[in-house]
Amino acid sequence: MRTGRVVVPPLGSQVLRQLWRRVTHPGVGIGARHAVLAMLERLTSRLRRTGHGSQRTPARALAAAALVIAFLTPGIALTGSSTPAAAADKTTFTVGFVSEVDSFNPFLGFQSESYEAWALTYDLMINYSMKDMSPEPGLATKWSTSDNGLTWTFDIRSGVKWSDGQPLTARDIAFTYNRVLSGPPWSTNWASYLKGVTSVTAPDATHVVLKLNKPNSVLPLLPIPIVPEHIWKNVSDSEAKSYSAEPKNGQPVVGSGPFRFVEGTAGGSTYRFEKNPDYWGGTPHIDEVVFRIYKSADPMVQALIKGEIDFAEDISPLQVKSLQGQPGITAHNGNGVLFDEIAFNTGSVDTKTGKPIGDPNPAVLDPKFRQALGYAIDHDQLVRKVYQGAGLPGDTIIPPSYPNWKWNPPPDQAFSFDLEKAGQLLDAAGYKKGSDGLRTMPDGSPIGTIRLAARSDSSADTSVNTMDYFKEWLADLGIKAEVVTYTSGRLTEVILDGNFDAFQWDWYVEPDPDGMLNIMTCGQRGGSSDSWYCNKKYDALYAKQHSEQDLAKREAEVKQMQQILYTDSPYLVTVYPTTGEAVRSDKFACFQPQPDPGGVWLVQYGAHNYINARPADQAGNCDGVASAIGATKAADSGGASSGFWIGAGIAVVVLIAAGGFVLIRRRSTVGERE
Amino acid sequence: MTLATNPSVAEAAEEVETSRRHRSYGRYVLGKVLGSLASLAFVLVVNFFLFRVLPGDPARNLSRGRFVSKGQLAAFNKTYGLDQSVPQQFLTYLNNTLHGDLGISIKYRVPVSQLILDRLWPTLLLVGTSTILAAIIGVWLGIRGAWKRGGAFDKASTGTSLTLYSMPEWWLGLLLIAVFAVGWGPIPGIFPTGGLHSVDAQPGTLSGVLDTAWHLTLPVITLTLAYLADYSLIMRSSLLDELGEDYLTTARAKGLRDIVVRNRHAVPNALLPTTTVIALSIGFVVSGAITIETVFSIPGLGLLGVDALETPDFWVLQGTFMVASAGVIAANLVANLLYGLLDPRVRT
Repeated sequence: MRTGRVVVPPLGSQVLRQLWRRVTHPGVGIGARHAVLAMLERLTSRLRRTGHGSQRTPARALAAAALVIAFLTPGIALTGSSTPAAAADKTTFTVGFVSEVDSFNPFLGFQSESYEAWALTYDLMINYSMKDMSPEPGLATKWSTSDNGLTWTFDIRSGVKWSDGQPLTARDIAFTYNRVLSGPPWSTNWASYLKGVTSVTAPDATHVVLKLNKPNSVLPLLPIPIVPEHIWKNVSDSEAKSYSAEPKNGQPVVGSGPFRFVEGTAGGSTYRFEKNPDYWGGTPHIDEVVFRIYKSADPMVQALIKGEIDFAEDISPLQVKSLQGQPGITAHNGNGVLFDEIAFNTGSVDTKTGKPIGDPNPAVLDPKFRQALGYAIDHDQLVRKVYQGAGLPGDTIIPPSYPNWKWNPPPDQAFSFDLEKAGQLLDAAGYKKGSDGLRTMPDGSPIGTIRLAARSDSSADTSVNTMDYFKEWLADLGIKAEVVTYTSGRLTEVILDGNFDAFQWDWYVEPDPDGMLNIMTCGQRGGSSDSWYCNKKYDALYAKQHSEQDLAKREAEVKQMQQILYTDSPYLVTVYPTTGEAVRSDKFACFQPQPDPGGVWLVQYGAHNYINARPADQAGNCDGVASAIGATKAADSGGASSGFWIGAGIAVVVLIAAGGFVLIRRRSTVGERE
Repeated sequence: MTLATNPSVAEAAEEVETSRRHRSYGRYVLGKVLGSLASLAFVLVVNFFLFRVLPGDPARNLSRGRFVSKGQLAAFNKTYGLDQSVPQQFLTYLNNTLHGDLGISIKYRVPVSQLILDRLWPTLLLVGTSTILAAIIGVWLGIRGAWKRGGAFDKASTGTSLTLYSMPEWWLGLLLIAVFAVGWGPIPGIFPTGGLHSVDAQPGTLSGVLDTAWHLTLPVITLTLAYLADYSLIMRSSLLDELGEDYLTTARAKGLRDIVVRNRHAVPNALLPTTTVIALSIGFVVSGAITIETVFSIPGLGLLGVDALETPDFWVLQGTFMVASAGVIAANLVANLLYGLLDPRVRT
C-alpha cells in the first residue's frame, strides 16, 4: 500500500519557505504566467518548424481545451448555483464528522455517529432531557412501577405513524425488546439494559408491560431504538448479523424519528436524511440533514470556513480557538459525559482460580500508595498544557454533567496538588526515602520503576503527555517511573494479562450511572474492568442501588460508591475532556446545549437540536430559550459570486487561448495541407 | 543455393522454427501463469496468519469506552465466528474464499466483498487517473530532460519533480485545498474541499460525472505531482544510457532529423525500464493512496485497509490485502508476458 513519503524536516521547511515565497510575491506569479505563455509560443513555433505530427495538433489542442473546460464547467456551474433561489427550495443542514457510522442497524453499531443516525431515524420509549439527561416522555407519555419494582407499565402515544404509513403501536416496542432478549446477534448491543427483565408484552396498542425477576433501577431509561415489527420480523437471526438497515432502491428506511434515512451506507462518506413532516414531537425547521464524513479534522474545518458544511463536530481546542475569530462562525468546547483517568493494577487475578496473574509492581497494589499519588497530580496544569484548556479538572468517575449523581469530594478529602502532603502520606505508609533519594517499599526493598502505559494512538497525544507529566511529578516524590506506549488494541491485551502498573484511558458515562459503576465491581474483572478492582463493600452497594426504587436513596448510595472509589483510588480521574464544535451561525441557529448549561450542541442523547435548529433568518429569539445560540451576521457574502466571475473569467481566457492556438496552428500548416 | 533450389526444405525449416518459437513462448506463458497462481495461493495462506498476529480483541476494541457485559462480548464473538479456534477459522476462511465469499466485516457488519466493490471505483478513479497522468507527463518530461540534459528545461523539470517527490503528499494536498478550495487572496476557491461528489449529485448523468471530475481535480493533481518523479527520473536516466550508443550516431549520420532520432531510435530502446515501473504502479492502483484519501476524504481501498487495522477487522484486512496482492501479481504477470514478447532473451 502506498503511504506518505517521509520527508526530512529541513527540506520540508525549505520547501515551505520556497512555496511561501512563491505565493506571497505576486510578481513571481506574473512572471510564471509569462513563462507559460513563452513556453506555449515556443511550442507552437517549434511545431511549425518541424511540421511533425502537424495533422494531429489541432485535434490535440481541441482535446486539451475540452478537457480544461470539462474540469472547470462543473466548478463554475456549482459555484454559481449557490444563489438564494436554489437555496430557498430546501434547507440542508450539513454536519461534518471525523468518524463514520459503523452500522445503521441499531442492534449492531457501536460508534457515536451511529447513535446519532439512529436518533434521527428512530424513537426511544423514554427520551433524555436537555438539562441533565434525566428521563422525559418519548413514545411513552407516562410510566409507573409496582411497589415491589417487578412490573413496569408504560403508556404509549397513539397516532404515531411509521414513515411508510403503518401505525406505531405498543406491539412494535414489545417486539423490539423481545428481539434483544432473544439472544445473539440481537442481544450484543442492548442486553445489559434489560437485566432482570423476564418478559415484555403489549396487552393493547397503547400499553407496554415489563415483568422483572429483580428490580432494575436503570428503568425507565432504555436507549434501545424502536424498530417497526412489520419490517424486522422478516429478518432472521442469521441475516441479522449482516442486516444493514439502509435505504434500498431509493426507498427510505422505515422509522418514526424526526428524519428519514434516505441515502447512504455504513462506512460511506455521505448520509442523507429528509425531514419527517408528521413527526409527533414537532416538525423540524430544516428540510434535510446531511452527514459528511471527513477522515481528518483539518479539511473539515476548511470546509466549514468555506461554507460546504454548516457544522463541524469533534475538532481540536486549537481549531476552536482559531474559528472563534471567524465571522459567521460560533465555536465552543462543549461539556460532555467523558472522563480521562490514570488507572492502576489493583490486583490482577485469574478469575477462575483466584491466583494472581501478571507482574504488577507491589507498590501500586496498595490503596494507600495510590491514594498518596492522588496528591501528586496537578489537574489544572493538565487541563491547561495537555488539553489546551479543553477540559475540566477531574475527581470522581461521574462527570459534572450529571449533577444529581455526582459526589463532590469535600475540601478536606479532595486531592489537591500537594507534593508535600503526598510525601507525608507515603512516609506514613512506609514508603520512606532511601539514601539515594528514592523511596523504598515498607520492607526496605527498592520500588523499582513504575511503568506508565500510554496509548500511542490517542487523539492529540493526551495519553502520552498526561503520563509524561505524571512521571515528572512521581520523580519529585522520589519514585522512578517510565512511560511505555502501546496501541489501544495491544494495551487491552496487556491489561487483561495483568502485565502493567498504571495506564491512561477514558470512559463514557451514560445518563444512568449503573453501567459505569458496574465496571468497577469484582464480577467485571476479566471483562469490562480494567483496574482489576474488587471491594466487597462496593459490590454490596452496587447490588443495593441496582434494585433501589427510591431515587433519593439511590443517589446517596451512588455517591457513597464514588467516595469508596475515590479513597481506594483504582482510578485517579484526571480531566473531564470537552468536545470541540463549531457551527455556521450565519446560516443556522438555535442549538441548545445538553447538559444545560455548557453542554455539547450535537451528538447529544436524542435528536433534540436537529428539531430545534432553524435557518438563521428564521431564528428570531429561538422561542425564548436563553441558552440557545443565536444567529450571527453573515461572513463576506460576496465570496461565492466573485468566485463565480473569476472562474468564468478563467474559462473564457482558456477558451480564447485554445481557439487562438488552433487558429495559429491551422494557419501555420496551411502550406503543408495544400 | 541449395535452399533456393529446394524451397520446400527451407519452408519446412522455417515452420519448425516458428512452431518451436510458439511452443517456447507457450511454455513461458504457462510457467508465468502457474507461478502467479502459486503466489496467489501463498498470499491466501499468509494473509490469514499475518493478521492474526495483530494485537487486540475486536469485540473489546469496538465496544471500548462504555459498559459491556461478558455475555455481550461472548455474544458478539459467537455471532462473528471469533469464538472458534484458529485452525477452525482458517478452514472456514479457505472454504469461503474459494467460494468467492470474503466474509462479513467485523466493524461494519456487511459483506466484505460489498465494501471492497463500493470502494473500488473511487480508488480506480483517483489512483488510476493519477498514475496514468503521472506516467504520460513523467515520460515526456524525462525524454525532454535527457535529450537536452543540463539545459534549463532539464534543470527546472528535474528540480521540480524532485521537490514534489520529497514533499509529503498530504501536505501538498492540504496546501492545494487551502489555495484552490478555500481560496487564497485573489485566487477563488472553486474546487470542493473533499469528498467524491456533491450531496445532490445524480450519479450516471452527465452532470453527475462532471461533478465527480470536479471533486477529483485537486486530489488527482496532488497525486500526479507526487508520482511524477517516479517516471520522469527513470525515463531520463534510461534515455541518458542510450545517448552514447553507436546506433544513434549511425542514425544521425544517415541524416535523420534530431526529433526522429529521438523518437524512433532512442526512446523505444529506453522505454523498457519505464514499462516495468508503469506496469507495477498500475498493479498498486488497487492498494489505494492512504494519505490522499485521508486529506480529501475519499472513501478508497487504502483507507478501508488502514481503518481495519484498528479493530482489527480480520476479514476486511484479508480482503483488501488479497485484492492488492492480486493486483500486483496480475500486473507482474502482464509485465512478464510483455517482456517475453518484447525481448526473446528473457524466455529462457
